[in-house]
Amino acid sequence: MRISVISQLQRSFSMEFPSLVSLKLPSPMETHLWYIRPDEVKIPSLLKHYSQLLSPSEIDKVSQLRGDQLKKNALLARTLVRTTIARYQTNNAVDPRSLMFKKNTYGKPEVDWQNYKNCNIPPLHFNISHTDSLIACGVTVHVPVGIDVEDKERKIKHDVLAFAERFYSADEVKFLSTIPDPESQRKEFIKLWTLKEAYVKALGKGFSAAPFNTFTIQSKAGTKGEYNLCKTSEMTTSSLEKTNNCNGEWKFSLLELADSHYAAICIEDDQASGGAPMRVIVRKTIPFVEDELISESILL
Amino acid sequence: MASLSTTSLSFKAPSTRISQVLRNASSFQSVTFGRVTSSKSLRLQISCAAKAETVQKVSDIVKEQLALSADTPLTSESKFSALGADSLDTVEIVMALEEKFNISVEESDAQNITTIQEAADLIEELVQKKPAAETS
Repeated sequence: MRISVISQLQRSFSMEFPSLVSLKLPSPMETHLWYIRPDEVKIPSLLKHYSQLLSPSEIDKVSQLRGDQLKKNALLARTLVRTTIARYQTNNAVDPRSLMFKKNTYGKPEVDWQNYKNCNIPPLHFNISHTDSLIACGVTVHVPVGIDVEDKERKIKHDVLAFAERFYSADEVKFLSTIPDPESQRKEFIKLWTLKEAYVKALGKGFSAAPFNTFTIQSKAGTKGEYNLCKTSEMTTSSLEKTNNCNGEWKFSLLELADSHYAAICIEDDQASGGAPMRVIVRKTIPFVEDELISESILL
Repeated sequence: MASLSTTSLSFKAPSTRISQVLRNASSFQSVTFGRVTSSKSLRLQISCAAKAETVQKVSDIVKEQLALSADTPLTSESKFSALGADSLDTVEIVMALEEKFNISVEESDAQNITTIQEAADLIEELVQKKPAAETS
């Protein structure tokens, strides 16, 4: 009796969970950016379905977080990673539940394909980032990727220039100090933060491999949404002899997401695309429910 | 349980190690520090008291940065990430700690701080390293 009531409820709320819709792989030098808005995912049975995809250690980590919102967002983040990666496999060959993850030497998470050695698995790379109100996952093929998202309205508790002087490169401080309006200055600070974080995460060697004050990211003149990375190396103590090594090894893209967030993407350049800018395909998703292609990406 | 005559307990160890020994060996709680009157034991007493006070100050800064309610239960083992801190929050917390305690944190040290206790330990270490006039 109880079982039939539940199945009646499930039918009336259309709580069937279809299998995942498969996806076409990203092209070279293309990033697929997926995001979830936690406030759009509320149905308890859907969240329960998600929790059944997680590994015991992931469940453990979620339970250690303080507060329901943090727990829910962590659940959604793991669900986003598992379902998205599973969908790129041909013929739904991979169950999101069965995916295993490991960390590289420096702690960057990656997929562990050990159980799929004989299958035709494409070399996917992913990286996630989240804020209270948005969870994002970037996916590329062949090249490492790093992403960072920040709420556009995020307030910095310290004086922005003091913060930059402490952590950013000299050229970035110079750039920020030329901005007269404090609100615009704060926004540029946040944009720079996301770009710098995305780079460090793409590099995948931890923060000590690329301290924020050792590299400068600046927009490429005459372009929209393209950026250069320049590494500062001090050959002598004299600041006059500081050299800037700007190379094209890393590609950046900065977008406005969902009207509320800045999203920065950094991928390693495969050197085969002739300097063309990165393509980004943005989709909002609720796993097992729907995808929405965001056709107009606002490049910044 | 080590005996606490001044000759047998080595005070040459760095102060953080001494305070860790104090934290871990509950048997020390039964020792009356008042009996040992050398200046070295006074430093021990000050390390003990400073630790709790440092932890409290760090907790206050963390609560403020992460906009946690005043009655949020925080222990010294609370992890920043479990409280919802992202990397930008952690950096802001480090900056606030630098201002509060008048210290300078190396970026590599800053990255290794993941709990309130670790922050308090690092602060104690950096404060101790400052010119002698400012410490006991």
